[in-house]
Amino acid sequence: MNLAKLKDKFFESVIYSTGIISIVIVLFIVYFLFKEGIGIFDKQPLEEGYCAVVHHYNHVNKISPEQIKKIVEGDLTNWKDLGGSYDSIYLFTLSDIEYKFTAEELGENFEHLNEKIAQYVSLNTGILAILPEKYVEKSLTRIKLDKVSLAGFFNGQDWYPASAPSPQFGALPILLGSLIVSIGAMLIAIPIGILVAIFLAELASPAVKNVMKSATELLSGIPSVVYGFFGIVVVVPFIKDLFNLNIGETALAGSVILAIIALPAIISLAEDAISSVPKELKIASLALGASHWQTIVRVMVPAASSGIISASILGIGRAFGETMAVLMVTGNAALMPTTFLQPVRTITATIAAELGEASTGGLHYQSLFILGSILFVITFIFNLSAELVAAKK
Amino acid sequence: MKKVIALFAYLFITFSNIAQTVKIKGSDTMLPMMQLQVEAFLKRYGGDINVTGGGSGTGITALLDGSIDIAMSSRDLKMAEKLKFEDKKADLKVVQIANDALSVIVNPSNKILSLTREQLEGIFTGKTVNWKEVGGEDLPIVVYTRESSSGTYEFMKEHVMSKKEFSKSAISTSATAQIVYAVSQNKAAIGYVGLAYVEPIVKAISISYDGGQKFIAPTFNNAFNKIYPVTRPLYLMYGGANEKQVKPFLDFVLSIYGQKLVTHKGYIPLK
Amino acid sequence: MKKELVQKIAFTSITILSFTIVSVVLLILGFIVVKGIGAINIDFLTKAPENGMMDGGIFPAILGTLLLILGSAAIAFPVGILSGIYMNEYAANNWFKKFIGMMTNNLAGVPSIVFGLFGLAIFVNFLGFGVSILSGCLTLGILILPVIIRTTEESLKTIEDSYRQASLALGASKLQTTFSVVLPMAFPNIVTGLIISIGRVAGETAPIIFTCAAYYLPEIILSFQTPVMALPYHLYVMATSGVDLNASRKIAFGTALVLMTMVFILNLSAGAVKKYMSKK
Repeated sequence: MNLAKLKDKFFESVIYSTGIISIVIVLFIVYFLFKEGIGIFDKQPLEEGYCAVVHHYNHVNKISPEQIKKIVEGDLTNWKDLGGSYDSIYLFTLSDIEYKFTAEELGENFEHLNEKIAQYVSLNTGILAILPEKYVEKSLTRIKLDKVSLAGFFNGQDWYPASAPSPQFGALPILLGSLIVSIGAMLIAIPIGILVAIFLAELASPAVKNVMKSATELLSGIPSVVYGFFGIVVVVPFIKDLFNLNIGETALAGSVILAIIALPAIISLAEDAISSVPKELKIASLALGASHWQTIVRVMVPAASSGIISASILGIGRAFGETMAVLMVTGNAALMPTTFLQPVRTITATIAAELGEASTGGLHYQSLFILGSILFVITFIFNLSAELVAAKK
Repeated sequence: MKKVIALFAYLFITFSNIAQTVKIKGSDTMLPMMQLQVEAFLKRYGGDINVTGGGSGTGITALLDGSIDIAMSSRDLKMAEKLKFEDKKADLKVVQIANDALSVIVNPSNKILSLTREQLEGIFTGKTVNWKEVGGEDLPIVVYTRESSSGTYEFMKEHVMSKKEFSKSAISTSATAQIVYAVSQNKAAIGYVGLAYVEPIVKAISISYDGGQKFIAPTFNNAFNKIYPVTRPLYLMYGGANEKQVKPFLDFVLSIYGQKLVTHKGYIPLK
Repeated sequence: MKKELVQKIAFTSITILSFTIVSVVLLILGFIVVKGIGAINIDFLTKAPENGMMDGGIFPAILGTLLLILGSAAIAFPVGILSGIYMNEYAANNWFKKFIGMMTNNLAGVPSIVFGLFGLAIFVNFLGFGVSILSGCLTLGILILPVIIRTTEESLKTIEDSYRQASLALGASKLQTTFSVVLPMAFPNIVTGLIISIGRVAGETAPIIFTCAAYYLPEIILSFQTPVMALPYHLYVMATSGVDLNASRKIAFGTALVLMTMVFILNLSAGAVKKYMSKK
């Protein structure tokens, strides 16, 4: 008897601890995502441990990543334009070291590097050198870079996270890209989904309904990479020809594929909502002389609205987080989206395409975790509001 | 019950024994060739080698993190990367195993046969937007590029575009074959790929590096004789501490037979 | 009269639309089946890729996907089911339970790429498992964990309290009640949920790209520490890379068909299991 009790106690504690474990896992995921990403803010947009140095005569003390990009591109050539004295800007980065100094000069283990750099900087009045901190003597004059800010991240329009010497993290085009693709998908999927749900709930014969329902259920399991592949082979060329475009990889292609992916879920949830409208409502409406169609439109759909809306919100959330299909068909150009007929880059595709090369803990890595956190928060909001809407009825 | 436990124990033991796997990762350009090399090597000597793509940058990052044994790279190490290896006190070895000609491709229906480096820079940075600006028909140019993890991307930026950034409207693909396919489908498209990827469904154009005096086509012979201006070395990189483990495979790739396999897939052998 | 006309028009167009949608979707499937069937033969299913990925089969990818399924199931099933039991049978009904319920619910809807990020940060880098089957299984296991917790919880919720009370009244302990009375009744639904979550593991690409996927790994080594080829990743690779487009397309279609068939079989068997078990 005692043994049995002990056994009970033991198993119950196992159950308790696994319960606690999964709670911890849940919280850990949330914590870790934000923790890995948050470090990007308040850092200079330079590689970890780098600094920017100018000649000690130079009075400019601040420069932005955009300006550095312009200097690289040759659009900005004089310190005068940055508020300094008249002198042409000479950008000096790590990769130039190989051309400026011979291997003997630097020493086998780069032991003379610091000295050479200090010397070189003092010889060039127009220099803007971007180099690792540890190769730069303390005595050299630093120039500050605008730090990566929350506002800059959400407002910036330039996404060049791997750009050397100074990366740019303007995620606005990417956020909008995700938004436009999912909105497009919903514009296609929601009306169609609701109409098909009406058909299944009200019009279809039991046999047809059965077949169609199991067909949609089956479809919901197809991996998105299969749809993405189908998108490359069929949808992209089709859209290009249909609209007579130069490019087939567009937001629209992504929307179409996402709509196909989201449809089964929307259909089945909306159908559930319509079917669960109380019979009395329908009968009362019909008895009052309304036609079946009027009853559907004026009585049943409004009565099922909370279910339908929550299905739609869930659909958007799903579309927003879909990765592979979007990565394969939307063209991934980080442009500000203006129409559905242009390539866009989404949050998910950015993470999938760039995570591999981003070295652990670096700025690029952190920026992708920030994108992941944003994705998490947005889908969280979608899911939560879907739940709230569904619960409201 | 006992049997089940025995089975689990057996599975656990087999699973947890540390396999001597050689992990290779990196350049997409080199993938098809490396796959062939590994296949041939395993057929002869056995062992366990696996290959993963993702781009040269991905491979080098992974080598730095110590999660792989050999990185494939279609570009030189950046100075920043060299210093990172230096920091880790990793005795990095770099072995050139082949060459490749960076080829610029357009749709076969495109009238353009050749471009200068300056024109290419204009096109890929987005300053030149219409084919008629470089002597073609009146058609907006559609630029295809790779993700920034690609060595080909970096090489292109460094050696063709004087380090400027790609146009924001360039369509970026995560793997090379996607560029070939897209260009073959699109009259207005231009892209860049390794020579091995050039197929009859696209057209590789000749390039001039002397302002348009002499245009050179990306062919096997031109690249082999180093006449073609954007020929680049393909490397395998590994940590010196790992030498014993990776040496047999490297020797195989550099052997006469290995170099024959290089040629077989459309790359350019060392000799 | 007008009312009826409107209704007729509306009903006809909705019917036509519904049939069109279903047939379009079936056409997509048919397209992949027709294009893929040509690639499939015994060699395709039992051989490793050859000749620069342009020949041979996809056996390592099939086996890899099976390994990932087994591994992630071994991790997520026990933890998920026990947690579901904890949530429904044991946890006190307070704000904390509600909060956790909300979190698991939302986690089930979190994009899979986020799990990929998490897996890379924790398992591959932080814990140092590297790109390996172990990291992949853990990542996928965590991906399906909330789904399993939820299905278990939901299935247990549908069992009426009177059964529990009756069992307790007969002198059974809470544990006995849970495992001998409640759980068996909820079992068909739980199993269905498990099989569907397996289907999800089979098809996910985004979480495995950075945690365990390999491009080419011909020898099957049963070790936790190697990367692994997997069907969805292989399809992605074949769809986007490869020197010879014709050859790689053919393999891609074949891979897509095999993957789809695998997921279909899983989903169909989920339905069948449910039917069979509820009959019993």
